[in-house]
Amino acid sequence: MLRVLATPLLAALVMFAAPAHAQAEKSASKSGFSLPATGPVKIVVFRPDVHVGEQSTGGLNEPNADWTAEARKQIGIALEKAQKSKSNDLVLMPELEGEQGVLLADYRSLFKTVTNAVLVHKLFPGNRLPTKKETFNWTLGSGTSQLAQISGGDYGLFIYTYDSYGSAGRKAAQLVGAMFGVGISSGVHTGYAGLVDLKTGELVWINADAQMGGDVRDAVGADKRVSQLLEDFPTRAGTAVTAAQ
Amino acid sequence: MTFASCRHVAGAVLGVMALLTGTVAQAGQAVEAAVPSAIGYQPRDADERGLWMEMEEAERELRNSNFVVHDPALNAYVKGVLCRTVGEMRCSAARIYIVRTPYFNASMAPNGMMQVWTGLLLRTRNEAQLAAVLGHEFGHFEKRHSLRLFREVRSKTDAMAWLSFLPYGVGLLAQLGTLGSIFSFSRDMEREADVESIAYLTSGGYTPGQASAIWAQLRDEQDATAAERKVRSRKDKNGGFFASHPNSGERMLYLAALASSATAATRTGDAEYRDAMALWWAPLIDDQIKLNDFGATEFLLGRLAGSGWTSELLYARGELYRTRGGDGDFAKAAGFYRDAIALGSTLPEARRGLGLALLRTGAIEQGRTMLKDYVKLKPDAGDRAMMAMLAGGI
Repeated sequence: MLRVLATPLLAALVMFAAPAHAQAEKSASKSGFSLPATGPVKIVVFRPDVHVGEQSTGGLNEPNADWTAEARKQIGIALEKAQKSKSNDLVLMPELEGEQGVLLADYRSLFKTVTNAVLVHKLFPGNRLPTKKETFNWTLGSGTSQLAQISGGDYGLFIYTYDSYGSAGRKAAQLVGAMFGVGISSGVHTGYAGLVDLKTGELVWINADAQMGGDVRDAVGADKRVSQLLEDFPTRAGTAVTAAQ
Repeated sequence: MTFASCRHVAGAVLGVMALLTGTVAQAGQAVEAAVPSAIGYQPRDADERGLWMEMEEAERELRNSNFVVHDPALNAYVKGVLCRTVGEMRCSAARIYIVRTPYFNASMAPNGMMQVWTGLLLRTRNEAQLAAVLGHEFGHFEKRHSLRLFREVRSKTDAMAWLSFLPYGVGLLAQLGTLGSIFSFSRDMEREADVESIAYLTSGGYTPGQASAIWAQLRDEQDATAAERKVRSRKDKNGGFFASHPNSGERMLYLAALASSATAATRTGDAEYRDAMALWWAPLIDDQIKLNDFGATEFLLGRLAGSGWTSELLYARGELYRTRGGDGDFAKAAGFYRDAIALGSTLPEARRGLGLALLRTGAIEQGRTMLKDYVKLKPDAGDRAMMAMLAGGI
């Protein structure tokens, strides 16, 4: 328990000491990758990892069940809309039981691990690996083809969002901090999305943002959030790369 | 909320999950609300619902994890012990997940998700000791400790935020004091759960003294680890100011005192525990051997063998000595494997171990014969190709 407690506490302290990082939003994709020019593309959405809460004055996140449930709903609707506009078919990964459930849980965990490696060692500065500077080659292994069979999908889309809205107390502390010349951030809004080719297991695209916009608790905000999450999403072969919506 | 302090990364991760959840009710509520084990209990305010939601997400992942032991017999046994301890009416509120990890701990989330680690099952010696652990964790649940700790951390860190504006180091000192009070609060809740565990033990008919015995054993094991590594025992080191749990020596003493004034009950369930764990000793000892903690493993094997060395324990001891591979260890290991086989061990791996140990002692021909036996006995073994090569070809 020691580290467990110390971590949020230290994190809270750090937030008072350090000014907010201006971390850029970043995306990357497998070199030369594009979705097939014609024919249907079926994208399986894995149950999005959604967490919404409120940030206390001291920086502790208070998970909020209502906000999270609403955000999960709104993000689902927004995702459906966004993919339809790209003429991709979207299906939800069903809840699985037994051996299939274990398989799915394994790949969810593996995706998280691989994504963390990409975030830490490729996308954001600090711990970038020299060997990964030029290339983008990560894979979950060809075993993902089992998930393609189960779901009937070509690609797997993973979504993660974490929101901690600054409480009134936090905002007050931010104001007082500014008077004393102490930079205090209020609110944490991060997220990422990744696309995996289920036939080969290759990670073909990833997009992460440490300072996301859009209030996920309502429809308009969720649309904005999803469009930010899907910024630079792979296009069909032959189409010009469009700028972010 | 956990049973012991987490010194390992896995522990910390699981601990975070435990911390994130909680249940309702601050002290001083006018009406005593229903306890979380009550049928149909639902979290009652935003804090509690938020923590439950986070834990439900965590449980969704844990349920299908490869680390969860799904053996129906073992799960039924542990659940049965919990039900006997806290009562049939209450125990259905807890969902037990036996997690395959060789460390000593258990945890309880406020929504009723309980984790029992296999390293704990390897160390508790009887049903009463297991009951003491389950009772402690259930006590956290009933007393809504996760929620109370969550609120404590929030209010104290809020205070620390304002203290940070005080000049000349005054704020920093005050912050440190506040930080310390959070850990002290955590230790108080652990003591409360320990007190609960004694009450549960006696109501379940279990000898209450076994709760204290767990800590005595663990301290002896820590001594054994230290002696082998030629370092000072860490049994009294638990973080001091930043300790989440009371020191194990303190727990041992106050649990013994509580037990001596508790109603006398006599059940220990030694035989029942041994039977329930019979098929699990070997794999769990194997996990323990891989921790590369010779002293503790030898200690655990010795006390499991208390009433006599079985072929499984001898095999495990052979593995332990062969893995260490120090001066004379291969000869000793070969002896243990031979004893295991003489006692009727049919484990192909006993032949493999004997073969490998013999090769290292220079008895090449005998060693190869044993490895050939192994490959014959287990033709689909994952290491078949390697063993066949070491056997000089099959």
